[in-house]
Amino acid sequence: MNHRLLCVAAWATLVAAITQGGESGPQQVIADAARRVVKLYGSGGFRGLEGYQTGLLIAPNGRILTVASTVLDAGEVDCVLDDGRRYAARLVGIDPQRELALLEITAEDLPAFTLDPAGPLAATGTRVIALSNMFGVAVGDERVTAQRGVIAAVVPLQARRGAAEAPFQGEVYVLDCTTNNPGSPGGALIDSGGRLVGMLGKELRSTTAGIWLNYAIPAAELCRGCDTILGGVAAGPAQPVEPFDLRLLGAVLVPDLLDRTPPFVESIDPGSPAERAGLRADDLLIAVGPLSVTTRAAVEQAVGRLAVGDPLTFVVIRGGGLVELDLGPRPPAAVRQPAAGGRP
Amino acid sequence: MIPRSPCLQAVTSLLAIALVPALGSAAEPTLSEERAFQAAVARVAPAVVRIEPLAVSAVAASGELRPGEGPSTGIVVAPERVLTTDFAIPADVEESLVVLADGGRRVARVLGRDRSRGLVLVAVTDLPATPPLEPAARADLAPGQWAIAVGRGWTATSPSVAVGIVSATNRAWGKAVQTDAAVSPMNYGGPLVDLDGRVIGVLAPLPADTAGLTEGTELYDAGIGFAVPLEDVLAVLPRLERGETLAPGMLGIAYRSQDPINGQPIVGSVRPGSPAAAAGLEPGDRLVSIDDRPITRIADAKHAVAPRYAGDRISITLSRETAGETPKELTVEATLVDRLPPWRRAVIGVVPVDGPTPEPGGIELDWIWPGSPADRAGLEPGDIVTAVALEDGPATPTHAPDDLAGMLAGLLPGGKISMTFRRAGRETSVGIETTTPPADLPVAGLARPARGIDPLAGPLRAAPVVKLQAAEAAEPTLAVIPAGTSPMGVLIWLGPPQGPIAEAEARAWQQAAAESGVAVLVPGSADPATWSRGDIDPVLRSLAALHGRRPVDPRRVGVAGSGAGAAFAWLVAERLGTGARGVALVGGGLPRLATVADATPDRDWWLLLGPGGDEATRQRIEADRDRLAAAGYAVGLLPAEPFGDIPSDLLCRWVSLLGML
Repeated sequence: MNHRLLCVAAWATLVAAITQGGESGPQQVIADAARRVVKLYGSGGFRGLEGYQTGLLIAPNGRILTVASTVLDAGEVDCVLDDGRRYAARLVGIDPQRELALLEITAEDLPAFTLDPAGPLAATGTRVIALSNMFGVAVGDERVTAQRGVIAAVVPLQARRGAAEAPFQGEVYVLDCTTNNPGSPGGALIDSGGRLVGMLGKELRSTTAGIWLNYAIPAAELCRGCDTILGGVAAGPAQPVEPFDLRLLGAVLVPDLLDRTPPFVESIDPGSPAERAGLRADDLLIAVGPLSVTTRAAVEQAVGRLAVGDPLTFVVIRGGGLVELDLGPRPPAAVRQPAAGGRP
Repeated sequence: MIPRSPCLQAVTSLLAIALVPALGSAAEPTLSEERAFQAAVARVAPAVVRIEPLAVSAVAASGELRPGEGPSTGIVVAPERVLTTDFAIPADVEESLVVLADGGRRVARVLGRDRSRGLVLVAVTDLPATPPLEPAARADLAPGQWAIAVGRGWTATSPSVAVGIVSATNRAWGKAVQTDAAVSPMNYGGPLVDLDGRVIGVLAPLPADTAGLTEGTELYDAGIGFAVPLEDVLAVLPRLERGETLAPGMLGIAYRSQDPINGQPIVGSVRPGSPAAAAGLEPGDRLVSIDDRPITRIADAKHAVAPRYAGDRISITLSRETAGETPKELTVEATLVDRLPPWRRAVIGVVPVDGPTPEPGGIELDWIWPGSPADRAGLEPGDIVTAVALEDGPATPTHAPDDLAGMLAGLLPGGKISMTFRRAGRETSVGIETTTPPADLPVAGLARPARGIDPLAGPLRAAPVVKLQAAEAAEPTLAVIPAGTSPMGVLIWLGPPQGPIAEAEARAWQQAAAESGVAVLVPGSADPATWSRGDIDPVLRSLAALHGRRPVDPRRVGVAGSGAGAAFAWLVAERLGTGARGVALVGGGLPRLATVADATPDRDWWLLLGPGGDEATRQRIEADRDRLAAAGYAVGLLPAEPFGDIPSDLLCRWVSLLGML
């Protein structure tokens, strides 16, 4: 960190605080932003499913962006503005890949957030405020709940809901405050200047750590989602990854008897690409390219995710040390080898 | 706070100035704070590395993903040395991966572990040099100051940031600083730093014995995080480097008071063969100070001993009163150990009455276990024990059952006592040799009638079923409460999960409760399909509600579970700790991943297991029995016949005998 810059920044804030007499303090920022946040009530009420969430006004004519969820399934969604006015919202469309939904109410001259398609990603450590109808505690003209925090990390989303993997795998903001609450999805994430940084995502668990995620989808991604919906571009759900069977390279991994079998090499076919690359029986695969893998299923997924022809490298543990192996270009998976022989 | 550079000092003072208008207006120097956070993170970031598991551990491979089976964080504390937590590298794992900011991977090998604080030191070859860490002096910390949690669990390429404050400076019996910054498996092992980038401590999922949790990880996202002060870490680094495993230090005393926090620091019993016994501590000694730290409550003593390691030598000053003399102070030294010799309870086979103390004092005996040492010595129901002397020791008057319990707790089975008792106005003394508690519940043991019940007076009125509305509970809990006013024994019955319990089910206990004088609490599960940890609190609250109806005798509380309720019963008993005296697992076993702590005078349950239906259950129960017996518990087997599905009569009788001494 450049200390001089830090001093200047501190001065700038001080001057701003004095000249504006506190008008742009967090209270004012929250008040301005909260007018652009709406409470949504829809279907739900089934065991374990909430019937409410949050939405963002993104145009003065009543366009509302929120997350696509079971709350919207009824088709009829009640939308309550910051001032308590209640509208029936109509579903305009859904972006299944980002799991976003666009709603519309018949109203004019509403305060709205501006979505910046070219906005850069906010940095780790940025102070943010989350505004949402968490737990549905804000009723009528009661203002949504504000929480403070910082952006803890900016990472690709690796998450699941129940057993299903979340379709969106782009970068998201991980937050250091607990926003993973019923009603929070669709809420606003703003910075200390009141700019919209992102939208609070659905309730998801991390697939790498098993913990609940507190995260938000970046504003630029929201823009792309809106374009997808309004442009009628049927993006469709992300293509599922076809796992790649390593026997195509001549490597047999230990049988996948358990859900999370460690990826040990059981045997190598003589003369196979795996043998030529130096892979040996009893090697433990720990990485495919830059990606860490701890299970046999993860190996097959990671290789399957590579495009045909992309360079394929493994890192293995052998005799207590790490060995990096170059398998050459990733082969196509179209031709399956007979299970009995497995020779190329 | 002593800023490192003049410029940072300038910033700090600017922050102070900028905060002044904030008092009157809404302004806050948000952006400058933001930059200060980032500067603090940047100072330690090079030393923060990502830890990845090398492969899935055997436990995780067999079950659901546990938080923490994924990436976590470590911190470079010395050249080629990384400190992380036993969460990232569990006890049965010797190797792990360190991932650097540039994506480079290194194999990490465990050197030493600090089991007291959940930390692990690993050796990593070819690790880039990083600037040394500067500890923030613990004495200078104050609740309310900024605290920033740094990790690399989310991604190796850039450190994650969570901002909060120091919540407390002396937590977990002095082992940790507490923060409200978001601490999770992703930044366990990472540093908690102050606004100047000095390291307050290493984030760790402390064995949160202070909060009664079985795993510290239960606290993630709860606004409670712990950091072990870096000063404390650096102090033990040489020992970890030498490959030592540091364990919590044990002294081997139990206190007379049932209140583990506010009770008087008076020794109730001394574990034979323990450091306390070697130092010459005796029941009745009052602790005055430990290592010059004044002790006025049990909590003070725990604060003094809990942070110490096995092998540490402590100095104890105590006050000892001998009959007829003024108390004298003496100071003894004790070397703490990592494991106390297995403790076996010594009993003589008597059950004291649960009613008021007889005049002019003593312990009235209600029942004598047939064939027990007390039986052989000629003791009878109705005898009043007035004094007990340990072998060769002076006689100590006994006023309440706890006095006798405390003296017996200081003996091994086979130890000798001399007991003075009053019968028909005459006092007699007998010598009795103690023995191990009976494990199996012989049918003869069931012959004990509830006190005050005349078997000749005709059939008993069934005990009524009542609804207990515990605080914050959605559904009332059913209980069967026998007639009477004296403190009663309680059986907590946890059957297979089924949601709220139907009244008809509780009625099955009415007869057994009336005959034994034992109340039966029948809680239901929140989810009809399964018992969960969330059900534990409502059970404890309904026990408190029951106590409000009629006093509960703390020496006779038993927890019994059947089928899937058996594993849950074990969890409830663990939470009750000394508040439970018996655990019965009917037709089920321990939770699969249960850790079985050794029996201690504070945690001494009479266990009943079985009967096993199929072969697999039988084998599991057999294995559980061996584990529990090895940990020092009295483990009996429940007979399959003739008690039927719910051995209500047998379990109620068992509870009535739990107070046996």
